[in-house]
Order: sequence, then C-alpha cells, then structure tokens
Amino acid sequence: MKYFLPLLLLLLFAWGCLDDDDQFDPIREADVTVAYHAEYDGQPLAIQREAYGYPTGDSLKFLLFQYYVSDLQLLPADGGDTVRLADIDLIRWMSAGDTTDVERTYSVPAGEYRGLQFGLGVKPELNAMDPNNFAADYVLNENEFWGPATRYVFAKIEANAMLDEDGRYDTGLSYHMGSDSLYRTVTLNRTFTVGNGGTDRLTVITDVFRALSGNGQTFDITDPTKQTVHGGNQQVAIGIWDRLAAAFTLETE
Amino acid sequence: MRGWCYLLPLLGLACAPEAGEPAERPAFAAILYPIDNPSTPAGEALGERLFFDPGLSADGTISCASCHRPELAFTDGLPVSVGLAGRAGTRNTLGLTNVGYFHHPLFWDGRADNLEAQALHPVGTDHEMGGSWPETVRRLARDASYRTAFAAAFGSPEIDSTRVGRALAQYQRSLVSRDTRYDRVRRGQAEYTAQEALGHALFFDLGDDPGGPWAGLPAAECAHCHTPPHFTNERFENNGLDEVTDLTAFSDPGRGAVSGLVYDNGRFRTPGLRNVALTAPYMHDGRFRTLEEVVDHYNSGGHYAENRSANVHPLDLEPAQKAALVAFLHTLTDCSLVTSGAAARGCRGQPE
Repeated sequence: MKYFLPLLLLLLFAWGCLDDDDQFDPIREADVTVAYHAEYDGQPLAIQREAYGYPTGDSLKFLLFQYYVSDLQLLPADGGDTVRLADIDLIRWMSAGDTTDVERTYSVPAGEYRGLQFGLGVKPELNAMDPNNFAADYVLNENEFWGPATRYVFAKIEANAMLDEDGRYDTGLSYHMGSDSLYRTVTLNRTFTVGNGGTDRLTVITDVFRALSGNGQTFDITDPTKQTVHGGNQQVAIGIWDRLAAAFTLETE
Repeated sequence: MRGWCYLLPLLGLACAPEAGEPAERPAFAAILYPIDNPSTPAGEALGERLFFDPGLSADGTISCASCHRPELAFTDGLPVSVGLAGRAGTRNTLGLTNVGYFHHPLFWDGRADNLEAQALHPVGTDHEMGGSWPETVRRLARDASYRTAFAAAFGSPEIDSTRVGRALAQYQRSLVSRDTRYDRVRRGQAEYTAQEALGHALFFDLGDDPGGPWAGLPAAECAHCHTPPHFTNERFENNGLDEVTDLTAFSDPGRGAVSGLVYDNGRFRTPGLRNVALTAPYMHDGRFRTLEEVVDHYNSGGHYAENRSANVHPLDLEPAQKAALVAFLHTLTDCSLVTSGAAARGCRGQPE
C-alpha cells in the first residue's frame, strides 16, 4: 500500500506524456518489401549457373539481365492519390552470386490497394537530364549510357548460346534496349492490404523467356543479324521489349 | 530556426546565374568524399608526400610512385609491376586517372572496396613494398615533420595505417583529368580530325543508327564496357583473352579468387581508358604491347570461355578503321596530368 501513491503518480505522469494522437491509434504506416523476381520459363533465373532450353532447340546461359523502373507506385483501392515508392531504380542480375530476388523495402500508408504500377525504363524527364547533376553513385550513374550525350539503356539481356551440339556456349547474344518511344507503363492489378496484418511483401515477377518467346513469336537467336541489338537498331528489339513489358506479374503474401 | 527556411531560398536565388548567363556544366558527377575522410589541402599534401616516399617499403627503395609513375599516367610501362628487390608481381599496374570518381570495388579483381582500403594493400605485399604496417608506422613516427603533417591533416600527430591510407586516398582523389581532346570536342572547343571522328563513331557504335551519318559502319562495341565519362563500367568482364573450356583452367582467376565463384574466373575489372595511350602495355597481365595489338584482339573476337562477354565477338574492322580507333583512343590523353619525363615531352592529345 505504501507504494500506491508513487505508482499512481507514475501512471499519471506516463498518461500525461501520451500525445492525444497516440492513443488507440490504428497502424498508419507499415513496411512493405517489393521483391523483383526473375525467372526463365517459370524457373528462377540463375546467372551463368544454369543452361536453359530455347524453342529453336538451342540453349542459353545468361550473363546479365537488368531493367530500369520509373515512378514505382501503389494504387489505392479507393481511387485516391497514388503512393510513390521510388522515382527511379535499377534492377539487375549480373553475377552467379546474385539471389533470384532483388528487394527494396518502403514505408507505406496502411490501407487497401488495388495494384502496383511502374514505368519500364527511364522516364523521359530523367532520360533528358545530365547525369552529372546526380551523385556519382546514384542509380542514374551506373554507366548505362548509350554514349557521351545520349542517355540510358533501359534494359539489357545478355547471354551466351550454344547453337551447335558441341558443348560450347560461344555465340554471344546482347540485347540493349531503350529510348523515349520505348518507355512503357506497366500496371499490375491485384488487391491487397497493407498494415493491420496485411501483406508485407509484393513480388514483381518477370520471365525472360517470355520476353524472348511469347505470343506465338520467338526471337530467332540463330540469325546473326539478331544476335546483337544495340544503339540505333532498336526496331529489331521492339518485339523483345514489348513482350518484356507484358511479362510482369504481381504476387502478394 | 524557422528564419532559415526563408533565408536559404533567397541565398539560392542570389547565387543562381543571371538570366542569359550560361551555367557551367559539371564535367562529371561529383567525387564522393567519404564522411570520415573529407579531402583537405593538408591531407592531400600529406598524401602526396607519402605517395612519393620510398620509406613506406621494407628497405626504403619502393614508393607508390615506383609503379604509379606520373609521367606514364601513374603506371610503370611494364607488363607486371616490379617491387621490392626486383620481385615481379602478377598483374599490370593500373593507372590512377580519375580513380577518385569510382565507387565500385578497385584493383583488377575488386579486392578493395574503396581507395582507403586499396592504399593499405601494397605495404605488406611481398612483391610490392615487402614490409609490414607496424614497422612502416614506426619509421614514419620517427620523423618529426611527418608528425606535424599528420597533425595538420587529421588534428593530432598520431600515425597509424588508417591515417596513412586516408591521406593517400585524398591525394589520389586529386588526380583528376577533364581536359582531354575528347573533352574539348565535347565542350565545342576543338574538332576531331577525320580519322578521330571515324574512331569515335566506331567506338560508340554510331553505325547502328540507320538514319544517322555513320549508318552501315561496323560497331566496335567498345562503349558497352568502356562507358564514358571515365570509360569504364566499373564491372568485371571476361574479354576473351584466354581459351578455356573449363572455367577452373584460367591461370589467373581474377575476380573469381575474390568472390569465390568459379563463374567469375577469368573476369577482371574494366579499366578506365582516360590516358590509355600513356599506359602501355595492356590487359591485367600486360600481354599487349600497343593499342594496335589491343584493337587486333577485339577485332578477332577473342578466345572462347563460356563466361566471355557477349559483347566481345568478331568485328570485321578494316585496317583504316582499326587505325581510326587507335586515333580516337589518343584523344583521351590529358597531358596536364603528366608532369615530367619523356612521355610529357611527347604527349599526344593536346591541341596544336
């Protein structure tokens, strides 16, 4: 009983320190991880480690897969303002030591959402900017320039192919794509809840196989004129680009 | 405090260029100065003194500058470096031009994360300075002028390997080249010769543009890895130097020895090409004596390994095109970084 008064005073003090808004407040924000997941024909993409079959009967070992993402945002279910997660990001798999998922974590307002949206590539206003205005280690200074005055390669797929049954992956395939006209908005519709026991992980899946072969079209990697697509010959790659933009799906946990 | 909110924008306006006044474009994205090692004049001066001091080596004969000679754009002209007592190293000495701008791992194999870490390696390496840090630090601490210089650079006279590394890093961050013929052409202050312009077009694959003035020109595929402004993508590539059917067969595993991944064997960091005409011989083992040999190698498509870069393949360049590429590479020379010696007297790349 002799401790009653001090305890009461302590409780009153603690109560007084509480902000009105702190009391019985629902979760306002929660961490959500966006995991970019790369696959080849439904299997996790493993740089160099795996040989993958191709519809022409050939096989591939990948060296590099990367793409820029602009204006990554969540779409609220009520149609309200989108929730911007990132202006620009570079998603890249280039080492046999890379994990299949490239993860980014954001603090997101709790609530109901109807999907996720991003631009595939570097949005035009950033694609027009001098990269020297950014820090040397900024994502737009990762040496993904077309040239000294021309800006970003939006996506790259590089692999070595075995076109003969000789065990040698000796045909380089190099597809570099990007220009303002190729910029695409990707909208992935799926309802989910953030906070209050909702999802904390959004998995953005893309399948490189579908970029090379899909919709009844298969890019002919045996054609020497289609083994290297760089710079100005973007028309050759537009099929790959459009299939890549259509190859994204969203899963929630 | 709130007053600053109003003051700062006004200050910004006062500093902004007037209408019509051209704002100077930055040459490169700014160097990243580490928070725990900001560059200062005293730090750079100390780093320069240490860089040229053979007292860092076990027998007082080898300094950083023994291999990183300024007149050769901070290389040594040898296939592989030669250190204490004439011991040969295993790799070609990398140049230091604009090294402060790099933010990915350094050395041919990427075993150092930054300049501060890189600077610690040579002192204890047998075929470089051949000593040890405790002994080197004791030697430096016996010199009162060094204690004074460390106090000026770091606020107190204590000397240790971390501080030596930091001072050396500060000096290396000062080795900036931004006045090559290439840079002056970019700024509109010079023009390429016809041969240099052809080389530029080949280097940057301008022939790929079907509507451009170079349509139909072969692509030399250089800039995918040697990406401007520093002409490196700072990544690790196998550029087809050695024929192997088994990735464990490389005589020098390169990046693989650091990453522990057999798939990285035979991969080496893409070197920057600024001042490349001064840094012969070439490749991680110095196997090519001239730029002409380098261009011949890439023109051939190199040798087979399953991790060879997909951008290394036969180019079918004609002799005049190969010569043009070499001419363009000479436009990347900045003689202002070359301070003495025969190379300075014969330095190519400056305007007439």
